[in-house]
Parts: sequence; C-alpha cells; structure tokens
Amino acid sequence: MALSAELIFLGDLIAIFSIYLVVNLSLNLEFGFGGVPNFGKVLAVAAGAFVVGTIPFGVYGLMLDYGGLEPVDDNIMLVHQINAYIAENPETVFVVFAITLIVAVGVGGLLGLVSAYPAIRLRGDYLAITLLAFGEIIRIVGINYTPLVGGTLGISVPDMLSFVPNEYRFLTASFVLLAFAGVAYLLVARFTKSPVGRLLRATRDDDLALQTLGRDPVKVKFKVMMLAGMLGAVGGVMYASYVEGVVAFGYDRLNWTFLPFVMIIVGGMANNKGVLVGTFLFVVIRKLVIYYNDSLDGLLPFDIIWLDYLALGGLMILVLIFRPHGIIPERPQKAKDLEKG
Amino acid sequence: MTIILFDGLIYASVLAVLCVGLSLTYKITSVPNFAHTSFAILGMYMALIMSKVIGLSVYVALPVAFAASGALALFMYYGIIRILQKKKSSLISLIIATLAFDMFMIGVLNIIADGVRNTYRVNSRDFTLRSLDTVIGGDGGLPLVFIVTIVLLAGLALGLYFLLYRTSFGMSMRGAIENESLAQTLGINTRTIFCFAWFLSGGLAGMAGVLMAMWFQGDPSLAAIMLPSIFAGSIVGGFSSIYGAILGGLLVGLSEVVGTSVLIDLLGYWVIPYRPVIPFIAMIATLLVLPGGLIQLITKYQKRRKTMMRKSKEEEEGDSVGT
Repeated sequence: MALSAELIFLGDLIAIFSIYLVVNLSLNLEFGFGGVPNFGKVLAVAAGAFVVGTIPFGVYGLMLDYGGLEPVDDNIMLVHQINAYIAENPETVFVVFAITLIVAVGVGGLLGLVSAYPAIRLRGDYLAITLLAFGEIIRIVGINYTPLVGGTLGISVPDMLSFVPNEYRFLTASFVLLAFAGVAYLLVARFTKSPVGRLLRATRDDDLALQTLGRDPVKVKFKVMMLAGMLGAVGGVMYASYVEGVVAFGYDRLNWTFLPFVMIIVGGMANNKGVLVGTFLFVVIRKLVIYYNDSLDGLLPFDIIWLDYLALGGLMILVLIFRPHGIIPERPQKAKDLEKG
Repeated sequence: MTIILFDGLIYASVLAVLCVGLSLTYKITSVPNFAHTSFAILGMYMALIMSKVIGLSVYVALPVAFAASGALALFMYYGIIRILQKKKSSLISLIIATLAFDMFMIGVLNIIADGVRNTYRVNSRDFTLRSLDTVIGGDGGLPLVFIVTIVLLAGLALGLYFLLYRTSFGMSMRGAIENESLAQTLGINTRTIFCFAWFLSGGLAGMAGVLMAMWFQGDPSLAAIMLPSIFAGSIVGGFSSIYGAILGGLLVGLSEVVGTSVLIDLLGYWVIPYRPVIPFIAMIATLLVLPGGLIQLITKYQKRRKTMMRKSKEEEEGDSVGT
C-alpha cells in the first residue's frame, strides 16, 4: 500500500512539529523563563544529532560483525546491514536507542554547562556573540572533521524502526516523535508551574531581590542551562533519527536557532501554551509554503529557498515591532495556596 | 611570503574598517548590529554588478557601494532600530531584530546572486575580481587594491579624527554620544547625528566589501563567517572605542591570516577550515583578561602618565615655594 500524498503531508507535519516543540520548549526554558538568550541553540541540537551519527554504529558494532566496514567510508552498506539486523532483532533497538538518548542527554547537559559559563558572566551583547560563535564552531567541526558525521557529505544512520512493516513505518515514526514531544511538554509544564519555575522567573526579573531572599541566581542559571541543553539534544536526536541521517550543513543558524526564536516569540515567551501555538503555526505555514512552492519553481529567476529567509526575517521584525509579547502573552502565575487564604 | 603579507594586511585593514562601523553604531545608538556584515556583502555584489555586468572599472563600485550600503543601514536604523528604541524594547529584542534583519538580508543577497547568475550568465558565487585589478610594476608587483585598502584605512582614521575633534558637527556628535538628552536641550539635532552615524557605518562596510571581493572571494555565506571576526575585532579593541576598533580589527585580522599560515606549517593543511576559531579565542581571551579591550590599556597608561606629570609639576612648584 502506497501512502497517499495527504497522509505523507500529515505525518511529516506531526513529526516536524514534535521535533520543533521539544527544541522550542528547551529554548523557552532558558530564554523565556530563565532570561538567557541562547543564540547558540543549534549547539545542543547539533550535538544530539551528532550523537545519533556515532553512538548507534558503535553499539551495534559490539553486537554484530561489521566485516571491516567503516561507519563513514562504507556508510550505505553498513547501514543496510544494521537495518537488516534490526528487522530480525527488534528488541535491540530499545537498548541502542536508550543508550543513544542517554549519551545525547549527557553531552547536551555538558554543552549547556559550557554555555552557562559565559551566560553568568557576560552582558547581553557580549553573551550574544559568544553563544552565536559556539553554534558556528560546532558546525565547522561537523563539516570538516569527517570521522564524526561524514563531513560535507554527511552520514546515514541506522533506521531504528526498520522492524516495522514498510507501509506503517512512516506514520509510526511520526507518532513515536509525537509521544516524545508530549512527554517533554508535560514535564516542562510541570516544571515551570512548580516553585522552581517561579524561582526561575525571579532570577530573570530581579536577581538582586532573589539574592536577598537567600537564593543563588548563578546556581539557578547553571541548572536551567544544563536542563535546556539536555532537552535541545533530545530534539537533535529526534530529528536525526527521523531523517535517518546527519548532515552537518543542516544544523545552521536559521533552522535551529533563529526559527525557534521566531516560534517562541510569536507564540508568547515564558508560556508553554504560547510555545505550542507558535510552533504549530510556523510548522504548518512552512510546510504549506514548501508544498506549494513546487508549483512556483521555474517561474522565479532564483531559488525559492531564499524566500523562506525573507519571510522569517521580515515576520520576526514585524512581530517585534507590533506584537512584542506574542499571541499568548505571559500571565502572572497565581499561587493557589495563597489565594485560599 | 609576500602573498601572506598582502593577504594579512588587506584582510586586517578590511576587518578594521568593518570594526569601526560596528563600534560606531554601538557607541552611538548602543545597538550591537548583527547584520553589519550584510552591508559588506551588498558592497561585494555592487562591485560584481559594476564590473562584470555593466563593464565599468571596479573602483567605480567604491562610491556606489558606499551609497547603497549606507542607504541600507539608514533604512535599518530608521525603519527598525529607531522604532524599537522608541517602544523601549529590551537590548535582547534589539539584538533579535538585528539578527532578523541579517536573515532577511541573507535572502535578499542570495536572490541578487541568483538573479545575476541567471540573467547575465556571470558566476556570482565564490567569485573574485582579482584579475580585474591593476598591478603596479607588472607581474609580482604591487596590486592597486593593496594601496587603496591601506589608504582607505589611514584616511578613515585621520578623517574620523578631523570630523570628531575639529568640526562643530563632530563636537555635537560627541555630545550626543555622551548625553543624548542634554545634547537635545542644547539644540543639537541628535536624530541627524544618529542617522549620519548609521549611514557612515553602512557605507564604510560597503566599501570594505568591494575591497574584499577584489582580493579574496565574494559570497553571501561570508556574512555569517565574518561576523564573529568583526565582533572579535571590536571587542578586542574595547567595543565602544573607534580607535580601539581599528587596533582590534588589525590585530584579529593579522592573527587570523598569519596564525593560520603558521599553524599550517606546524600541523598541516587540515587546520584551514578551523580558522574562524582564532578570532573566537582572541575574543574570549580579551573578555577574560582585559574586558575593557586594548583601549582600556591605553587610557590607563595615559592616565598614569598624566598623574605622574602632575606630581612632578607639583614637586617643582613646591620647590620654588620653599626657596
């Protein structure tokens, strides 16, 4: 059974929405709630994706004999071999994916820690360029250090769902990703509604007042940056697993730093429902634009991909000018126990 | 060796010109402009269009790029930054707005590049105009672009000094930087001054872009690649100092080119793509060791000398009273 075009459209929409939701939740955690504008969001996402490009090969290497094939040099053949193995032994996937996820979360947390160092020391402008440079550097490493993820050509990764029959595989992937995003959303929503969430906002709004109350804003910032790094890496794992490959060129500033910023600012910062709305809106718009762009191809004397840059950049500026608080603005959070008296 | 010398000096001077523009707008309107390199890329394409499409001398592109990029910067300030500042947007919102403008310009510049290629069949990516330049003294001689770049930087340093310290407009400009509202009460039109600063900043960047395309390569992707270098140069210089920016830009530019060639000798050719890490290290080192930049060092030295001179003067006076 071949999937209809509508179904493919819908499945892809759900998958991309889920991936961006996780990345945006992590950015909202550090920027919206924590007040640290992480202009190097791509760092954690790319790190998560790079882990997918390395760890599964290593772990499956322990389980089956590659026969001298190298993950980067004999990429396609090796991936084919591993996929065949996964189809026969589906239970291995859970172990390998769990290990990949744990490593990615660890690396993401570590990078969050690294980004937190400048974040607690530098003012807005200096911090912005430092974090921006972090994001550029991981891309340079990914593109040029071939053993990591195949350099400029990129690398294919084993399909973790190759045990699922072909006709269901695509939609299964979408719903697995949606489940991931749902869990992430519930966890973040719980976290931000808890007293820790209030602590986070207090750090953002007035760290001096916080200090007088005996809390250490530096510690809070470290923790939130680490948490956001972990969640960002999970987003990277989701994306690389979904597209079954890692191409370092794909982890650029537009897609994984700027777009999340646009999404959360349009939706409404420091507000998880806003993130939900903003992410959904942009994923749908972008998807529709790409869908209908094919009919425009050839009519214009330039590559249509650049219209994407025009639209996103222009829209961001308009939103900053006309609706800086987004569609759903942040509301003061009520403490229920206090209201009861 | 001479190639490295030309590479280093031209790159460093171009970077210094860009750093001056960045520091100028930062000092005057306190906006770190993350779209500053896009002005330079516009200059590059002005050079390409002037020379390869219209068929004029590349040097005609210098004033054209100055006007075009200056106008773009003016539009950015007047159409975006000023409105946001009036609305009392936070610094982070302003930074995001400049990043957004950068994204917008990436789209525009790539559309220009594609358009030039498809309409005029001219290579518009990774292009170089080096072959169009005149070389003084035949093959292996002195390229004209080298002289023009050095003259531009020197002229900029002298011109800015003359403008800021020898004209009444410069005086009101310095006044507006120090205290905007006080300058306004004294009848200084700060809006004109701010607009002038942005126009100058953009125009200089446009000229830097022309020179860049004449010796190195021109490509829209350079906007993102050069941005950290320019910020590094300005920060090494002290970020809100014009002369610090010249020093910092030269230092970062030279260390990028010379440092990379030294590392190639030591480690091999694989280091070439990691060149953008050098300005990053320079920036981090400055922030850790000397957050005020090179200019802080210089002003400290000057202050110390002044106090020493004053002390020795007082001692002399004391002696004369005693006798």
